[in-house]
Amino acid sequence: MAPSRGPPPLARTLHASLENHKGSVNVARYSKGAAQYVLTGGQDRSVRLWNASSGAEIKTFNAHGYEVLSISVSHDNAQFSSSGGDRSIFVWDVMTGVTTRRISGHMGKVFAVEYNEDASVLVSGSFDTSVRLWDLRSQNRQPIQVLDEAGDAVQTLHVGRTSIITGSVDGHVRTYDLRKGELRCDFIGQPITAVVPTQDQQTILVTTLDSHLRLMDMSNGKMLNEFSGHTNTSYRCRGCFSHGEVSVLCGDEKGQVWAWDLLDAKPMQPNPPPQVHSKVITWTEHHPTDTGELITASADGTVKIWRHPNTA
Amino acid sequence: MTSRLKRKLGDLGVDTSSKRATENFCLIGTPLPPLEKSRDTGEFVPLWKQDVRDEKGRRRLHGAFTGGFSAGYFNTVGSKEGWAPSTFVSSRSDRAKKKAARPEDFMDEEDLQEIRDSQKLVDTTETMDFSGTRAANTDGGPEDDSITGMLKASLLPAPSDSAGARILKKMGWKLGQGIGPRVTWKQRKQQDLEAQHGRGLVPDNVKIPDDDDEAKKHMYPPRDIPVMIVPRKDNHHGLGYKPGMSLNESLSGSQAGSSSGPKLAGGFGLGALNDADEDDLDVYDSGPSATRNRTAYDTIARDEDEHISVGPRSARMTSGSRPTASVQTFQDGQPVLPGFVLSDRPVAEDRWFPLPEPPSGWRPDPRRVWNSDKENIQAQEPPEPSGHGRWKNNVSADTRGSMLGEKPLAKGSRSVFEYMSQKDAERLKNTSAKFQAGSLDSTGPVPSPPPPPPAATSIVIRRIDPHVAQAALRGFQPFTADPAKQARYKLYLQSQTSEDASQSPPVPLPNQKIDEFNKELEDYATAAQIFKPMSGAMASRFTSAAIIDHGPKVHEGLHTPSQEAEEKARKAEEVKRAEEKVSPKVHAAKMGMFGPLTRESTPWQPARLLCKRFGVKDPNPPPDMPPPDSMPASEAAAASAEQAASASGSGIQRELESAGSGPRDLRNIGLGEDESQGRDILTYTKPSMDVFKAIFASDEEDSDDEDADKPDAPLKEAVPPTAVPAADTSVDKLDPPSIDALPRPSEPTSVDLGTFKPMFIPREGKGKKTESGKDRDKEKGGKKRKKEKKTGLVSFAMEEDGGDEASELRAPKERPKKKKRKEKKDDEEEDMWVEKPPPEVVKEMVIDKPALPLADTPDLGERDVNGPPRGRKRAIDFL
Repeated sequence: MAPSRGPPPLARTLHASLENHKGSVNVARYSKGAAQYVLTGGQDRSVRLWNASSGAEIKTFNAHGYEVLSISVSHDNAQFSSSGGDRSIFVWDVMTGVTTRRISGHMGKVFAVEYNEDASVLVSGSFDTSVRLWDLRSQNRQPIQVLDEAGDAVQTLHVGRTSIITGSVDGHVRTYDLRKGELRCDFIGQPITAVVPTQDQQTILVTTLDSHLRLMDMSNGKMLNEFSGHTNTSYRCRGCFSHGEVSVLCGDEKGQVWAWDLLDAKPMQPNPPPQVHSKVITWTEHHPTDTGELITASADGTVKIWRHPNTA
Repeated sequence: MTSRLKRKLGDLGVDTSSKRATENFCLIGTPLPPLEKSRDTGEFVPLWKQDVRDEKGRRRLHGAFTGGFSAGYFNTVGSKEGWAPSTFVSSRSDRAKKKAARPEDFMDEEDLQEIRDSQKLVDTTETMDFSGTRAANTDGGPEDDSITGMLKASLLPAPSDSAGARILKKMGWKLGQGIGPRVTWKQRKQQDLEAQHGRGLVPDNVKIPDDDDEAKKHMYPPRDIPVMIVPRKDNHHGLGYKPGMSLNESLSGSQAGSSSGPKLAGGFGLGALNDADEDDLDVYDSGPSATRNRTAYDTIARDEDEHISVGPRSARMTSGSRPTASVQTFQDGQPVLPGFVLSDRPVAEDRWFPLPEPPSGWRPDPRRVWNSDKENIQAQEPPEPSGHGRWKNNVSADTRGSMLGEKPLAKGSRSVFEYMSQKDAERLKNTSAKFQAGSLDSTGPVPSPPPPPPAATSIVIRRIDPHVAQAALRGFQPFTADPAKQARYKLYLQSQTSEDASQSPPVPLPNQKIDEFNKELEDYATAAQIFKPMSGAMASRFTSAAIIDHGPKVHEGLHTPSQEAEEKARKAEEVKRAEEKVSPKVHAAKMGMFGPLTRESTPWQPARLLCKRFGVKDPNPPPDMPPPDSMPASEAAAASAEQAASASGSGIQRELESAGSGPRDLRNIGLGEDESQGRDILTYTKPSMDVFKAIFASDEEDSDDEDADKPDAPLKEAVPPTAVPAADTSVDKLDPPSIDALPRPSEPTSVDLGTFKPMFIPREGKGKKTESGKDRDKEKGGKKRKKEKKTGLVSFAMEEDGGDEASELRAPKERPKKKKRKEKKDDEEEDMWVEKPPPEVVKEMVIDKPALPLADTPDLGERDVNGPPRGRKRAIDFL
């Protein structure tokens, strides 16, 4: 039996640093499946595809006219979509590296874009406070539906099997339940920059701009846990769960990657964590399957892949 | 016509007497115009015959059907085909020929005419040199040297003469001469001198050298008198100042002008130093000579060179204005500024008058002054306008009436006092008189208020009548907006209620001056007088407002920190209030009490397509499509079908049923996206058997003891009763195959038309059974087939027939009979369509088939042949 029953230590060993981006890196996503690849998008208007294990850049996707703010990879890894300051969503074919569709309709920056499970619907949330659902099966240029309940910019999205969760700057997490035909609106009170549900879709991790992460119960809207200690007041710093959802990770504005125990909400050692990026960490994402790997994207232009020394 | 010619013609055979032979070809005179052309142009033409033509005689207005208003090729477009866009012609080969298109190329004659007219207008604004100033300017400009003048004269167009100049020229005047009669040489010289020195300055006895005798012999045109051109003053300098003029120049300008006699010949005059008399003059000191170019104003650069040159005149001027004493000093030893002279006369002193002594015992009384001022103001009212102006000005009807001596109209009552009875009024008067007396007693003489602010050193508490104070305490509270003040006011009133001053009056605030405090108390006293509640009968007539909106409080005077603090407190209070206003939701979120307070659930309708894409059933199906269970006609069918489906494990039927509950949208019915396409066909359920019964069953058969609920009852009854015993007899031995043939609910779904055959009893079998079977087949199977073509629908008739069929074609006969029988029985129990006896019959009928394996194919053929009867039934079905 392991001496400590706490969560396994975090991947804190730098495995690779991806430094080809010219400016701030806004988003870094693992590909689906085995998640051997990483897609990053940044201020330099490019989306880059990396091999996570070797740290080599495979491809650069250049078509955006403004910064790239969000990336979503389809379930089959055949396509991904990106959005950003140019108010349109680009759907890319990964192999050819060209945009297969350019979806426009938003009136402002598109902060978040997400596929549904079978990549038949694309959901996008924008500065214009609307969430638009786009049908990728048909060539219809109009959105299937526009969700305009948000009172401020929609910063983050999650598309589940039967629900769509949006987080908005107006401090609300909105859950659109398709099966029940119900909109559940949870007021957090602070601008929400990220929502990440657990696998069982029962709880949701909400990152807000008051330097807090909250674990909310989806069924009744109650707060289960609160994680604080880091600094996050003005940038979108996405927090996430570690492998097995035993701990919560978040990079903060000082370039530190924080980790908390999910259950007792105490920061894990080292506390405070070392500064690993020179600027704000904009995106933290744990490897979907691998226990000891995570990526952080930072405004200092680098994306770092961290691995646990044992697993690596 | 000559006779010879006549004869000759006669020889030729021409009849000379005919008109043609004597025709005259000579025309003398101007022929009259032909009659039709001589019509009067001013002749009346009816309106419909009139037409408008342009200057070229083209018709201007066309009818709507002949080209429209002023349109068509008659007027604007040059071809009958209408306007054609110019074809592109490449200018590549002849680029040199290419000519820039001018606007005129695109104009028609009307436009051209227009442009010509406008050009004429431009031409009329021809410049005319009325005063000859241009000529004067060209040769007289000070900054123009000769070459530029010449160039200008040659380049500029010759100024056209004014009318006067032209007349003068005709009279012999030439440019450059003066106007007037010719003068002698001497006169002309005189004029020259005058021009040089100014008129009237030249004495008559000036000797004019008359050296030239020849010159005297001629008369000369007078000298041209230069036109005095007053320069326009467009700067901000003072009058008489020229830019760059030094202070000394400007000071001594008049002196120099007056003192300068006839000018000396030009040239170099005395230098600045030569003129100096004093030997002790320090030329290098900051004397006037050095300040020559020190100007009082900004100089303009171009004028500088003029003044840099040391002219004799300026030199003399500066020397003249030079003070005699080189350095003067003020009394305090300061040197006098160069250029200034110390005045020997002292500046006149202001006379001071001692202030009048105020009489002893006089105290300033602003109120008196104020009152006297008011009187003044009243006295200063504008005098009444007299005459008509008075009438015009505001004279109301009342005044006019009073002027005219009219009896004033009875006015509408204006006061509540007028409604009071005489007695009440008197009582009120008495009361008020008493009050006034009391207040007067307490306040003392009005014109002697407490000491004025500057003199206030002691606190003077103004007394008010105790009952006034009491009333004021009960009455309106004037300082509700300011709680602190209100408290002090109350305190003051309470102190006044007791005659013996047992209650302590308010003390001045820590940072309050005594005079301020006195004023405050004064205010309170006044307020108490004013706001004491009305007494007696009047009190019931009025209700005092609970809250008085004072509006934004304006602080008079300068800003004081105490007010700022007040403001701050108020703001803090506002903030607090705003916080209170925050919704409980926000409050709960702030407190971290997430849960029901922070959660709002609202119904939300996802788009249908979205549901489809997410693979989710539409949560809120539109209400216009009732669920299939509510269909009364198909209730039984649905139930049976469901049961059958559950029994057999076949999901299709259920799926169909459930799919039927989906919402329908008129827009996409029958389209590719319509999920329910063909579903209504698939889910067709047979109408209840009553319908069939009503149609097909004969009345006497109704009397049978058949279960009416059973759908097949009429059919069964249609079977001749003889068939039943026959069937009964064969039940035992025929059972197994029939069981096999019996439909299991899953099987019918796979039945399609191609393979589907109604079951018939072979002819060679029991005829009656066959007949009955056929009948049933015809009725059921046929019906089914017609209605549910292509659907492969599950229904009993089909099941039966199709099941037979299927069993024949592919059914394994070796199946355990018991089981099959059980199954069949289950089916029979579950299937509402099935009436128990008929299956037996069927079983019996079916039995034959296994018995006649060879007949399989013929059977099929026979069934095919049996189409026509089905057709007949079809027609019935449509009923």
